[in-house]
Amino acid sequence: MTSRQKTLYVDTRRCMNCRACETACKLENGVPAGPRWTMVTEVEVTQDGVDKTMFLPMPCLHCGDPACLKACPTGAISKRTVDGIVLVDKEKCIGCRQCLWACQFGVPQFGPDNKMEKCTLCVHRFDDGLTETACQKACQAEAIMVGTVDEISKAIRERYATSSRNQLFGNGILGR
Amino acid sequence: MANFTRLHEDLNKYAVARNVPVWVGGKKVIADRVVKTACPHNCYDTCGVLAYIKDEKVIKLEGDPDHPITRGHLCVKGYANVQKINSPDRVKYPLIRVGERGEGKFRRATWDEALDYIVDKLKDIRSRYGGEAFSEYCYSGNREHMAKTVSGRFLNLFGASKLVGSFCLLSGAAGSYYSVGDQHTMMPEVWSEKTEMIFLVGRNPSFTNPHIYPFLYKAMERGAKLVVVDPYVTAVASKADLHLQPRPGTDVVLALGMMNYIISHDMHNKEFIAKYTHGFEDLLEEVKTMPVEKAAELTGIEAEKIIQAAQWYATLNTQTECGYGHQRYSNGHQAQRAYACLAAICGHIGKETGNYNYIDQMGFPALPGFMQAGKVMNPEGADIPKTRLINIATFATAIQEAAAQGKPIKGVISYRGGLVSQQPEVAYTLEALKTLDLFVTIEQFMTDDTDWADVVLPGCHYLEQYGLHPSYWHHYLQVLVPVCQPYYEAVPDIEIWAELGRRMGWEEYFPKETTGLDYIKTLIGENCNVDEAVSPKGPLRLPENWCPRVPYADLKFATPSGKIELYSIGMEERGKKFPGDFKAVPYHLEPEESPLSTPELYKKYPLTLISQHPAFRTHSQYYNLPWIREIEGPAKIYISREDAAKAGVKEGDKVRVFNDRGELKGIYAKPSIRVKSGTAELSSGMWVKLGANVNVLSSRSIGGPRDVGAGIMEEYHPLLDGNTTAYFNTLVQIEKM
Repeated sequence: MTSRQKTLYVDTRRCMNCRACETACKLENGVPAGPRWTMVTEVEVTQDGVDKTMFLPMPCLHCGDPACLKACPTGAISKRTVDGIVLVDKEKCIGCRQCLWACQFGVPQFGPDNKMEKCTLCVHRFDDGLTETACQKACQAEAIMVGTVDEISKAIRERYATSSRNQLFGNGILGR
Repeated sequence: MANFTRLHEDLNKYAVARNVPVWVGGKKVIADRVVKTACPHNCYDTCGVLAYIKDEKVIKLEGDPDHPITRGHLCVKGYANVQKINSPDRVKYPLIRVGERGEGKFRRATWDEALDYIVDKLKDIRSRYGGEAFSEYCYSGNREHMAKTVSGRFLNLFGASKLVGSFCLLSGAAGSYYSVGDQHTMMPEVWSEKTEMIFLVGRNPSFTNPHIYPFLYKAMERGAKLVVVDPYVTAVASKADLHLQPRPGTDVVLALGMMNYIISHDMHNKEFIAKYTHGFEDLLEEVKTMPVEKAAELTGIEAEKIIQAAQWYATLNTQTECGYGHQRYSNGHQAQRAYACLAAICGHIGKETGNYNYIDQMGFPALPGFMQAGKVMNPEGADIPKTRLINIATFATAIQEAAAQGKPIKGVISYRGGLVSQQPEVAYTLEALKTLDLFVTIEQFMTDDTDWADVVLPGCHYLEQYGLHPSYWHHYLQVLVPVCQPYYEAVPDIEIWAELGRRMGWEEYFPKETTGLDYIKTLIGENCNVDEAVSPKGPLRLPENWCPRVPYADLKFATPSGKIELYSIGMEERGKKFPGDFKAVPYHLEPEESPLSTPELYKKYPLTLISQHPAFRTHSQYYNLPWIREIEGPAKIYISREDAAKAGVKEGDKVRVFNDRGELKGIYAKPSIRVKSGTAELSSGMWVKLGANVNVLSSRSIGGPRDVGAGIMEEYHPLLDGNTTAYFNTLVQIEKM
């Protein structure tokens, strides 16, 4: 599973709190005000004496070993073998909120129908041959990345390797 | 009068594609067509938009991937426009007031009845008080220019008072114009490749310019430094190599302090100064008065940080990217002058590696550019009387003053601007509105303004009408087209004004068959090929002769001396004609209301209140949308932890925020690192009737070189006089409720 597990990674150095992912998600998935499938969390930190704010969009993490799945008494929550995406079957959900207690990240949301709903990692888009989630497509800072752990790891390493290489040898200012 | 019918156009001609499958609301839907347009909500980015239409309803919006700057991304509001245009709360048909002003009680009317009511009243006002008793109130809610130009034609034919000036940035535009002449910007696609440092002043791009980020990151990944000047710890400040956090309204001090260090350490560009600037010796006199230690004391920024910024600024090729935060004080014009002088003494103007950006004037019909606004506003053959000018920065004051002069303003048609929520000092604005005989609003929702209106006309969402909105930051033009027919009984602004014109008897100047696109072609057709910017085509790169790739590259400047004016001859000249602050070298003038300029008031009200434009609103727009309200949460005021402790306030406590002008109750306190002690932040644009509008508290003082008094004028030049409402000249106190 690990090799095929799809996940969403946020490069927090890039996320800048524009919140576009939040309305893009609502539009894509038809989510009314109330349940929030993703939410940008603001954190204040003081680093080396400098006051800063940092931001982290928090959709479902589609855990490798999902606590919500184990906590669900009706088997409404499942994890796809093909890509590890964690989904909820509203037909089976009884709204007991065991999943909410179990999830360490506060992901499960409950709308007017009192059934659990949450980020599906835009499973419909990937199943339809599209290559990005709605939030990733909306992310102007290119902070949101979706893929297998290997793919994301490679992309991140490339991003920073390119940056270092440019700074040292390329058209960067240190290479003058 | 005859039945009002709209001119119907087949909009399929604008389709980029037909029968397009698209995912929306978790379902795959076949959209009837996809249309290209652009967002005109007065932000730097002016995004290219793709609208998916089904059954004449907008079902989905995406960024246009072909747009070279916005590259397929919209912002938090951009996507929420689907909720906005489809909202059940929209004004669906014309309304005529039945209750008292302010009660918000109306009855449904037909378009004919509403239009006749307005025209009868206008004629009555004109016969009793003269044409100048009528004015429009219009700003940047939809910053598209075409409707304003068409309403300008109506107002000119009527002999109405003319609305001039701005709330937001003209002080700095004047300061900048006096320094370097014509206002141009160098696009990020140019500087991101070459610059060694970005000096970003008074702009929070996460909320007002998000598409700068890919370019910022590209430059930073090349090793370029980022220095941010902002009294608030914004997201971009948190990404910076250095964040300079001045006490609000002390930008001139910071720039003078940096110049002092640079010149006293012989780091200035002497060759550039000698060849391309005028008045270095005069500037030097002023700079000498501001050693770094004094600048540190006045701004509250540590001296080491000012020195670090100065060293980098002088030695690295720097892109100076100015926002408009520092325009919210009475000294905004001098602040922008000071930053222009800083760029000039280091030679960071006119170069690909770093240029000086304030605003691109191509997006402003009142300024020299590619728009021929005069042709539309003053149609050939029409007899246009010269009438008085009203400054929008002091609109309510002008209404009161006009009445006092015995030449009152009695009728106002308001559109594209929240008069009640966005003018400073709300209580004063409401008093002014009460003196009107006719107040008409063209609105999409029942806002703070509509409650005070006699007639409310159902206005169009930007997606339902034509428009022309060149960016003031980049050079790509996408003409706005109606992506769908208007919802309900809404009518595009241009057509409302044209119909009012026809009912005034000016059929020849408002022919029924003239479309918005026809007007746009009159406005810019001489200078660019409009069809190339109309869906399915576009965006169009505006002509190089109007929007050069590297502005000021020839190092010739449209100033009186032909050089960058460190000493402004233009200001000296204008100062002979009009009263005001035309001191020709930049100097620090404390904001009219501040700890230093009003120490007695400061004892009562020890917090300087600044307000950001939040991501969630364009001024007051979007505040009523469920998605937006949910994401933003309740109104909150950011204060420093020290000030919170002093006031005995904890996180989550509800507080009263007040000064002599008014009070806001039930605001959540957020003790935070985001502001320094002495500063408080409450975001702008929340509605008065929903209890958290910052302008209840804000000062009516204005910035800019010319003192326009109450704002009634015979003559006005936006770039020579330049006014801005000094919203942040505002002191408040908080107390726990």
